[in-house]
Amino acid sequence: MVDIQEKLKEIGPFVPGAEDDLLICRCEEVTKGEIRKAVHEGIFTVEEMRRYLRNGMGLCQGQTCGRLVKGIMARELKVRPAEIEPATARAPMRPIEMRILAEDGGDRE
Amino acid sequence: MKRYDLIVIGGGPAGLSAATEAAKHGLHPVVFDENARPGGQLFKQIHKFFGSKEHKAKIRGFQIGEELLEEAEKYGVEVCLNAAVIGLYPEKEVTVRIGEEVKHVKGDAVLVATGASENMVTFPGWTLPGVIGAGAAQTMMNLHHVKAGEKILMLGSGNVGLVVSFQLMQAGCEVVALVDAAKRVGGYGVHAAKVARLGVPFYLSHTIVEAEGSDCVTGVTIAQVDEKFQFIEGTKKHFDVDTICMAVGLSPMSQLLMQAGCKMEDTPGGCVPVCDASGATSVPGIYAAGDVSGIEEASSAMIEGRISGAVIAEYLGYITEEGKKARERELEEALEALRKGMFAPENRGKLLEKTEEGIDISMNLLEKGYVAEDEIERYPGVTHMAGVHPVMECTQNIPCNPCQDACAKGCISIGKNITSLPVVVPGAECIGCGMCVASCSGQAIFLVDEESEPGYGTVTLPYEFLPLPEAGEKGIALGRDGTKVCDCEVVSCKSAKAFDHTNLLTIKVPADMTMKARFYKKGAKFCQA
Repeated sequence: MVDIQEKLKEIGPFVPGAEDDLLICRCEEVTKGEIRKAVHEGIFTVEEMRRYLRNGMGLCQGQTCGRLVKGIMARELKVRPAEIEPATARAPMRPIEMRILAEDGGDRE
Repeated sequence: MKRYDLIVIGGGPAGLSAATEAAKHGLHPVVFDENARPGGQLFKQIHKFFGSKEHKAKIRGFQIGEELLEEAEKYGVEVCLNAAVIGLYPEKEVTVRIGEEVKHVKGDAVLVATGASENMVTFPGWTLPGVIGAGAAQTMMNLHHVKAGEKILMLGSGNVGLVVSFQLMQAGCEVVALVDAAKRVGGYGVHAAKVARLGVPFYLSHTIVEAEGSDCVTGVTIAQVDEKFQFIEGTKKHFDVDTICMAVGLSPMSQLLMQAGCKMEDTPGGCVPVCDASGATSVPGIYAAGDVSGIEEASSAMIEGRISGAVIAEYLGYITEEGKKARERELEEALEALRKGMFAPENRGKLLEKTEEGIDISMNLLEKGYVAEDEIERYPGVTHMAGVHPVMECTQNIPCNPCQDACAKGCISIGKNITSLPVVVPGAECIGCGMCVASCSGQAIFLVDEESEPGYGTVTLPYEFLPLPEAGEKGIALGRDGTKVCDCEVVSCKSAKAFDHTNLLTIKVPADMTMKARFYKKGAKFCQA
């Protein structure tokens, strides 16, 4: 288990960067600065980040930005991207209308 | 709940191959694909594939796709289109959205062959309309016959970036530059050489600073990067473009496997399931094949799919263990052949300095996209002799050998080792038929007559552009670097069914230019020399 306070001390304070306005998650309009800042607020896993900023929660479900978010978090945390805990994969894996999902009757035939 | 022997998720090369293999052994598989057409990326591939006969080398990707579909149909594989799988559960239950309904189905085995999606890189302006993936450009051109743009900058020098750049030029777009942050070209040298001789400049150790435009892309600035990928001051270059294509790698779409509880591994190439050689994951009965289990290419995906299909047939008791092993051995041999050579998985990211034959690799090819004049003579396929003869500018060890079978006269030899460089067989007589030129998937073979008449010679080159030049037409000959080497005249332009749309263009050039002229442009307006 990572000691959040220790890790925050280790990575130092949030320093604004030149590319902070860059959009990373296009579906939910989350910027690089917001992601970097969230790391300094103690968000260390992709799952937490999704719940915190809604990155990767839009139409493409993180298919485009997932790797980018991970890369930004890894640089901020000074670790390899593979060390960042990925988001949980859960259904529905593809965008689907609520009315169709609501009609899902399980295995009734 | 409806039950199937095998549920295949994804109807691309891996999924279709697996379902067909399983059906051959008596299973009743169903393939779910979220697209309106099956075949995955195969139907976008208009270039000839590499490999040997058993890998369907020198056949164009979309034709391989058609063969695969025919075979799947013959064995009664049920292919369900517009069917998006939205969930996969450890007990091998699949939820799939078909039309207005979510259906639950169960498979005795499930194979995930969902492929991969394109990576993106970010820079100011990357969300502007006009910044697209190379795969999207290919879909627009090759499936929908829509030009992706007029003036295009390609980011990425892997095989996707190189192949798509060539196709964009074929479609009539202008590729103004091919850019890669890496120091060396990532894809096959022959693919790079094809693009370089069209006059596309390569900018290695460069990347995009920003895309310009308010409503859409109107320009792009690139700059050189240092060892740490930081921009070097004073190296900015600007291009007027309307489109920026990104070919910066693929990531496996492995979320379904993760959801099903398969053990996953986070690699630099993306999140992939931990599986054995047959594609079996940590969850019994759930398998993975193709790009979803690690990015490769379509030829290996098809073999991986077949291996999984045979293994699943045995897992469900349709074939004996001996039967499975025999089939596995046969397929693994074919797969191993594809994973040999300079671009083998274990050589990824390594700088090889010599070929298997001990010849120095062309550094110019790796840095600028073409083999320099002072380098080309050292390769065994490049020889001089009286009369017409093949000149094979094949300089890297890649698993490919159609040229060897193409020559009825036995002029060309690769030998048993599929990755060896082709050599001209001493004493064999070239009749100038050009079958070797048309058969080379890398378009690296030329027929040269160093002196067909006093002071002049001819060069026959592979030509896949329209309109076709006509005999007697005057133009300029371009060198390997795409700049003008001399004026020339078209002697002939031959098309034949056996050439499969690779036309053989013969140009007459001054005798001292026969080893320099490698492409043709009509008129002189493209002159850059």
